[in-house]
Amino acid sequence: MIDPPYLYEDYRSTHLRAPKEKLLDVPANFFDRPGPLVPSGFVRDSDNDLTAHGKGAPLGERMVLSGRVLDSDGRPVRRTLVEIWQANASGRYHHPVDTHDAPLDPNFHGMGRMLTDDEGRYRFVTVKPGAYPWLNHPFAWRPAHIHFSLLGNAPVQRLITQMYFPGDPLLALDPVYNSVPDGEGRKRLVCALALESSVEGDALGYRYDIVLNGAKSTPFGV
Amino acid sequence: MQRTPSQTVGPFFHEALRWPDGEKVRFAETGQPIVLLGRLLDGAGEPLADSLIETWQLSPLGKPPAPAAGAARPHGLGRVETGKDGTYRIETLMPGAPEGAAPCIEVTVFARGLLKPLHTRVYLADEARVRAEPLLKPLAGSTRLKTLIAAPEAVGNPTVYHWDIRLQGVGETVFFAT
Repeated sequence: MIDPPYLYEDYRSTHLRAPKEKLLDVPANFFDRPGPLVPSGFVRDSDNDLTAHGKGAPLGERMVLSGRVLDSDGRPVRRTLVEIWQANASGRYHHPVDTHDAPLDPNFHGMGRMLTDDEGRYRFVTVKPGAYPWLNHPFAWRPAHIHFSLLGNAPVQRLITQMYFPGDPLLALDPVYNSVPDGEGRKRLVCALALESSVEGDALGYRYDIVLNGAKSTPFGV
Repeated sequence: MQRTPSQTVGPFFHEALRWPDGEKVRFAETGQPIVLLGRLLDGAGEPLADSLIETWQLSPLGKPPAPAAGAARPHGLGRVETGKDGTYRIETLMPGAPEGAAPCIEVTVFARGLLKPLHTRVYLADEARVRAEPLLKPLAGSTRLKTLIAAPEAVGNPTVYHWDIRLQGVGETVFFAT
């Protein structure tokens, strides 16, 4: 099993939200059909630079986050929509529901999006998010992470996930990360330091490749 | 290559994943306007105030939606957040259906507490037609089939369909294994 289960005891919010009945089996290729094609004008060029969405530079450690979106056969997922969101460097989201007593940064909203290119590549400029406490269990802190939404080119490829940072001691304690049953799967959630994509004297590079399900069908023209 | 695993959408996705008029589903064609609305409820009957619903459907002609152009949103796709009371609402066009099939909208639910999305379908047809769906054969003798059928609440232009999604417990919606 690649994905976490619906019910994961250590993550409290699953208790009343996990279905109890058996799920209905559908044919193996049920979601494998041409997915929505996102028109190129839907995304603006500046949407992928999260450090340029305020009046000035945001606080924090600037980073370049880049990688490829591939399918399970290793083929690039072309011109697909990648949307990300994250906390600021202090571990606070620009979101009314976030009550964590850490400062907001008026120059950082923490959201970006872009379309992958013909090689499946994407690139965001952002700052490294901070860890933050949550109420799941005593002394619970989420490891620093960036949320990713991938529309994919067929519904079978749709994925929402979270990317973590290498060497974070909070990973071992995090029920969301550890809900992934398989060690290889958990590794897939962690980016790698990538000096080759760093900007000298300015931003540290991280590389994160995302693998979606293979799809026989892709939208016309992709 | 092993696929990247799913993680929860969490509670802070709203602004990042909000699309302008995401609740108004667009098509290249015209058709019969409908509204689909209802509530998302958890195993204690409490509303889910922090979930994201995506819908996908065939065009009014029963075809895969034609690609959108320019800066438009993708056709056939709806994306909407639930409100504080767990309600959602989408405005769309009545989907066409292949010969012998009942019209339906596919629904994906993301939420805090869902480590992976829930997939289901809502049918906009009477029970006899829905019971004839080959996909739903395993539910032939089950009252749970009714959890996949929306009730027309106000017939008109648009016709309003009501459909609640229950994640767990009494009246639990039928979800699809993926």
